[in-house]
Order: sequence, then C-alpha cells, then structure tokens
Amino acid sequence: MRKVLALLVATVFAVPLYVAVVNVFKDGPQISKSPASLPIPPTLDNIRSALGRSDRLFWVSLTNSLIVTSLSIAVLTVLSAMLGHYLARTRGRWTRALTLLLLSGLMIPPQVILMPVTQVLRAVGLMTTVPGLVLFNVGYYVPFGVFVFTGFVRAIPVELEESAALDGAGRGQTFWRIVFPLMRPATASVLIFLGVWIWNDFIDPLVILGPSQGTTVTTGIYRSIGQYQVDFGAMFAMMFLATLPVLIFFLLLQRHFVKGLTGGATKG
Amino acid sequence: MRSSVSRRPMIGRRVWHFVSFGGPGTAVYLCFVLAPILISLGYSLTNYNPFRDETHFVGLDNYRVLLTDEEFLTSLRVTGILTAIVVIVPNVAGLAIAALLDRQSWFFSSLRTVFFVPVVLSSVVVSVIWTRLLDNDGLINQTLRAIGVDEPPGWLSDPDYALYSLGGILSWQMLGFCVVIYLAGLQHIPQELLEAAAIDGAGPVRRFWRITWPLLAPALTINTVILLISAFKVFDHVQIITRGGPGSGTTATIAYNVLQTGFVANRQGFASAMAILMLVIIAALSGVALRLLQRREVDL
Repeated sequence: MRKVLALLVATVFAVPLYVAVVNVFKDGPQISKSPASLPIPPTLDNIRSALGRSDRLFWVSLTNSLIVTSLSIAVLTVLSAMLGHYLARTRGRWTRALTLLLLSGLMIPPQVILMPVTQVLRAVGLMTTVPGLVLFNVGYYVPFGVFVFTGFVRAIPVELEESAALDGAGRGQTFWRIVFPLMRPATASVLIFLGVWIWNDFIDPLVILGPSQGTTVTTGIYRSIGQYQVDFGAMFAMMFLATLPVLIFFLLLQRHFVKGLTGGATKG
Repeated sequence: MRSSVSRRPMIGRRVWHFVSFGGPGTAVYLCFVLAPILISLGYSLTNYNPFRDETHFVGLDNYRVLLTDEEFLTSLRVTGILTAIVVIVPNVAGLAIAALLDRQSWFFSSLRTVFFVPVVLSSVVVSVIWTRLLDNDGLINQTLRAIGVDEPPGWLSDPDYALYSLGGILSWQMLGFCVVIYLAGLQHIPQELLEAAAIDGAGPVRRFWRITWPLLAPALTINTVILLISAFKVFDHVQIITRGGPGSGTTATIAYNVLQTGFVANRQGFASAMAILMLVIIAALSGVALRLLQRREVDL
C-alpha cells in the first residue's frame, strides 16, 4: 500500500523530467502534438543537430563550463580548507570577527554585489574573461567552503597536529600531510555542492562573461531559446546534453551529497 | 623588556600564519563580496548612471523614493507572496513525502533520488521544461482539454495565475531538498520512544505531534531558512519564464527589479539602494526565522 502510494506520487512528480527526456528523441511536429507520448520511432536528429551546429555553441559552452567549474572548485577547496583550518585553530577577537564576516556572506544575494563586481573586474582587466568569473566564484562561495571545513576541523583532535609539530613538521607540512587527508568527507561535500552550483549558475556567467564573449552551458541554453522558437527538439537535446555531466556526477556521488547535506543540517 | 624581544618573532609568526593560511581566501572574499557591498552602499547614496556624466550625492533620496515607489512596493508584494509559497509548499509536501518514504530499502531510496533530481538541475533547464508544460497549448492544458475543461487557464500568460505558477515551479524544484532533510530527521528519531508511547496508548496522531514533530525541529529550521533565502533571491526563473510579466510587474521580484534597473535601465545608484534594502530585509527575515525556530529545538 505504502509502496503503491509512494510510486504514484513519485510518478506524478517526475512527469516534467520524463517529458524533457522523451522529447529529446522526437521530431518537431511530434513534440508539439503529443508531448507526453513515447518516442516511437526514436530519432537522434535533435542530438546530432545540437552537436553539429555550425557555431559550435554546445562544444564551446561545454568547454567553458568544464574549465570554469573545475578551476573554481579546485581553488575553492584549497583556499577554504586552509582558511577554515586557520579559523578553527586560532582563537581571539579577530578570528571571531572574521568568522562572522565570512558566515554572513552565506546569505548575500548575488544581485546585491554583481554591479560593483563588474567594476572591480573591469579595473583589474578581468571583465568578460574566464579567470574573472573564476575569481568571483571563489570569493562568492568561500563562505560555504569555510563553513563546512571549520565545522569539520573542530572534530579532528588537535593533538595529531601538535605531535606532528613536535616531530619537526612545519605548519604547511602538518596541514597537507596530516589534516587535509583526514578532511576527505568535508572535501567531498564541498566539491560536490560547489560543483553542482557553479555548473548550474546562470546570472553570474551571463553578466561576467558578457553578451558576446564565452557562454557556459546554462547561458548557452538561454541564448538559444530565441533561435529555437521553432525547433524545440534541438533545444531539449541541448539541455539534455548540458545536464548529463552534472547528473552523472550527482548519481555517482549521491551518497556523499546526501551525507554532506544532512551531516551538518540535522546535528546527525 | 626581555618579553618584547621574544614576542616580536612570535607576532611575526602569527601574522605569517594568517597570511599564508587565511590570507588568500580572505583577500578574494574582500575583493569580490565585501568591497562590492561597500561600493553598492556608496552608490546607493548617489544618482550614478554609467552612461551619464554627472554623479551627485543625493543622500537618502533613493531610499525615500523607493519606499513610495509603486513599482518597488509591487515587487515587495510579489516577492512576499512567492516566498510564502516556497516556504510553505515544499515544507509541508516534503514532510509528507519523507514520512511516506521513511523505510530502509532500495525501492524507497531510489524514489528519494527521483525527488532530488530537480534540486541538482539548473534553474535554466527547469524553467524551459516548465515553460513548455504550462504553455497555452502545452501538455498540461492539452490534458485539461482532453478531460473536458474547455478553457484551461493561461498559467503563465494570465496575470492572475502567473505568480502562483512560478511559485509552483520553484516548489517543485526545492521539494526534494526538504524531503532529504526531513528523511534524515525522521531517521534520527529513536524507535524506542515511539514504541514506548504506543504502549502507553498514544495513537499515531498524538505520537506525531508529541514526539516526531518536536524532534524534527532542526530539520524545519534548516529547510525554512534555506527556502526563505533561495526564494527571496529568485531571479533566473523570472527572467526566463515570465520576464516580470504578464502585464506590468505581476511577477517582477525584487531580485529581478534590481538587475533590470541596474543593467537594463542603467540607474545604478537607484538599483544599489534597492539591493541594499533587499540585503537588509533578507538578513532581518532569516535572523528572525532562525531565532524563532531554534527556540523550538530540543536536545534528546
């Protein structure tokens, strides 16, 4: 009984996902006439046309998204792990003030800072560039990384670090050889969350990469909405292809994702 | 004075520790979050427009104008309604679904994954999918016509419906988040407690309100605060699905208006004031919500 009800609710909930997937494999008239029917016979034309566009929109977007996301999460992990460790292990007024300042960043809507950010980036010559977007991502998401890492460092016994120091290891060595490997679960949740968020981000790449410069997968879809007014199949194909990497990433790592989500959230 | 000799390298080491470990992260945060907020604050006191030469200091004029500005007050109302929908619907539905899925088996955990997929989808993708579904002759209206509704509503084109459709879409996307958090909360409730209550004669309703619900307080806190913050800054869905319409401003949220005023109308001084007000409201709301909700939390 419970199973039937659960399955029913999940099925209704998943209708939009189903529609999005089946329409990738249908032709135009079929999509508008019967959006919910199964794709019989299935066609790969939509995928082929999304992949083979003459402006290479999909490939350019995919490359940009991959570069922006991987660079951002790599830098974010290193910087926020070190900063998080510093804040968890240092006491004093300044540390507390800095922690508070960082945590308040967790709720700042990007709209509040985007306009001045474009000016900061223009001033350093990084507006409409990938490094500019990466730097902004790092600044914007560092509070989240610090939040996860400080919480985690507090659970690691400080004696481990002290004994390493007695053995003559420097701070850097102690951190990279001993502490960082112990923080693997925290690193996993930071990488997964930020990876998904940055991959899916829309407004920041739209504004920072600018109207004509590089597109990411999300801004690529957005820009092709107009052109695809007549060709929904190609648009669904583009969305499908752009979502596939993040979906696979999520399905592979979902245990960590859920653990990261609930570990801090419910005092498990 | 000997101590000052030994303190100097000590302080040097401390500074070096901060610079090497905390410095880089702090510096990027300063440049790309804190400094921009201060710049915004500064602009909000001027009539700055990048395409006009003169920039004057106008004091609190922007704020004064905003508080009586029809468009801004509308966007405040729109944001309020949207936020209320998004805080209530996924919380209630998420708890119900979590209770339904609260069994350890591959069957229920794969259903949990189904509910969670929209959470990891881009808002752009979600927006495009739902725009197609809710079109005047999209799947939903085709279905309604098929079952005999002659004139199904224009979900996105009718000013009376558009905001609620938007709320529904956002709720659909956030639902899985609440499900996962509530499931974790439910799984941490000791079974003995519920069994003991059952032996003492408490029915399911009583067990829920007396045991389960109070012990879910932390889950409710986190869901509510996250939903509140994400609803308040909704921009992508509005930009892609309705562009603030239909009609004038029926779905224009504050977040949408900030970017419209700043980047499209180029009234950056005015937009900055709006952004700062937005920040103040969101801080106040989440502060109050956090305080109220945390008071309910009990330790086992």
